[in-house]
Amino acid sequence: MQIFNEFINSYFLWKDPMLIGLVSGAVCGFTGVYVVLRRMVFISATLTQISSLGVVLAFYFQSVIVGTFFGLINPFYFSIVLTCISAVFFSMKRDFFPITLEGVIGFGFLIAGSLTIIMSDRITQGAHEVDNILFGSAVVVDNKDLIFIPAISIVVFFVHYFFYKDFVFISFDPEMAKLFGYPVRIINLIMFIILGTVVAVTTRALGALPVFALLALPPLTSMYLTEKLKYVFILSILIGMSTAATGYFLSFIMSMPTGASVVLAGSVIFIICHLYSRFKKVNTNAIA
Amino acid sequence: MTPVYLLIMENEKLIQLRDVSIGYEGISLIDHIYIEINKGKLVGMVGPNGGGKSTLLKTLLGLVPPVTGRLLYKENITFGYVPQSVTFDRIFPLSVLEIVIMGRYARVPFTRKPDKNDMDIVRVTMVRTGIDHLKDRTFRSLSGGEKQRVLLARAIAGGPDIIAMDEPTASIDSKGEAEIMSLIKDMKENKEFTIIMVSHFIDSLIKFSDELVMVDKDRALFKHGDISDFTDKQYINEIFSKDITYR
Repeated sequence: MQIFNEFINSYFLWKDPMLIGLVSGAVCGFTGVYVVLRRMVFISATLTQISSLGVVLAFYFQSVIVGTFFGLINPFYFSIVLTCISAVFFSMKRDFFPITLEGVIGFGFLIAGSLTIIMSDRITQGAHEVDNILFGSAVVVDNKDLIFIPAISIVVFFVHYFFYKDFVFISFDPEMAKLFGYPVRIINLIMFIILGTVVAVTTRALGALPVFALLALPPLTSMYLTEKLKYVFILSILIGMSTAATGYFLSFIMSMPTGASVVLAGSVIFIICHLYSRFKKVNTNAIA
Repeated sequence: MTPVYLLIMENEKLIQLRDVSIGYEGISLIDHIYIEINKGKLVGMVGPNGGGKSTLLKTLLGLVPPVTGRLLYKENITFGYVPQSVTFDRIFPLSVLEIVIMGRYARVPFTRKPDKNDMDIVRVTMVRTGIDHLKDRTFRSLSGGEKQRVLLARAIAGGPDIIAMDEPTASIDSKGEAEIMSLIKDMKENKEFTIIMVSHFIDSLIKFSDELVMVDKDRALFKHGDISDFTDKQYINEIFSKDITYR
């Protein structure tokens, strides 16, 4: 109880990161439903890695080519652009790489991961920020994030409300959608750009690992609890917010790394819901 | 030669393939295909597994472009499509009602939602196909026969000119097959839709079809004609030998 009181009394320290965590948990949980339904969970990991690479590259360009065009590059925008371009690439027909999407995503993860490590080793300016991006931070929130993340989340929810029928239709049966004259490629493109933007803005605030967890675990968990797609979306939002809040709380009171705490919280919720579904005998074969 | 899509204005002609080669990515599987699909007919499409039936069906529907030749459609033609239920991912927690409503999306513009009229049509279709009691069940929880009926209801709900079915009775039990074939027979007798049905069960096709299309890419075989041209089972067996199933 004392720990809880201490946590409450220190609200001025965590209120901004917690707010960002809650909003990110909601928007990642919601967006992640499509990622899970389309069996592309690993794309979340790849995009978060590419987003990290974007920030690292921006700092690298700033440090080695100061005063030139590259010196003016903003890590935030550079990361968004790079992540969205990558997301668009993943949405396109794979003429260049005649292998499975899974293979292309795996390749993207590996190349982005290795470049992030190599480039971050070569920069001094912004090294702390790079650490925050890779592992998350409980106390550091950029003022830009307080505006951008809620604003982008509102746009994302609005777009999904507007395109809900079309997103579900082309995800479930793209062939029929094409037959009906739906612009399948354009809708796919919109979905991937939304995913890329969400990943880029939240990764900078929360870190790569927790964003991957918030995109994957809440939708998977909610599928243990309901057999209705609309409720999967609602539960994913709630579970995403609960995961972020619990992660921040644990991180604060136990002095644990924030990113890892969020992932741990999400994993515990996932396991509890899995056991609940086994106990209640909910049909979860489909998740396998 | 680049494929050309034109409009056929005559009322009875819905689709024409003129000297078409079917295939993927510029590689032709079967050449010199001529097909005319006329209104109200049930056209069976038969051939061995991997013989090019599904490629031909998808070419007819415009889902796969012809390698060469001309593909012509009646103006504003609409399609309903019944794929094999196994093609759908079980991960989607969609109800039967949500699946059947998708059939109306052919007539519900992009970004708009189905209205009351659409919902009424869906309900009537579900009653007609005998799946109204399943409306709240998840699609993934149904048996193979029930799933095919749901997909057929989805195709009917759109009120299309043509319903194309890809192996609608594959992987289902004999009871399920009888139910599906009964629905198809009913649709044929009412002449509501033009039907293209792909199957490797030739006896069902001979029983119900007005016309038959035979394809086998390995033998460079393409034959299209009235059902009376295909009643010689010995001839069909010679062509398809072990691959065609008589039941």
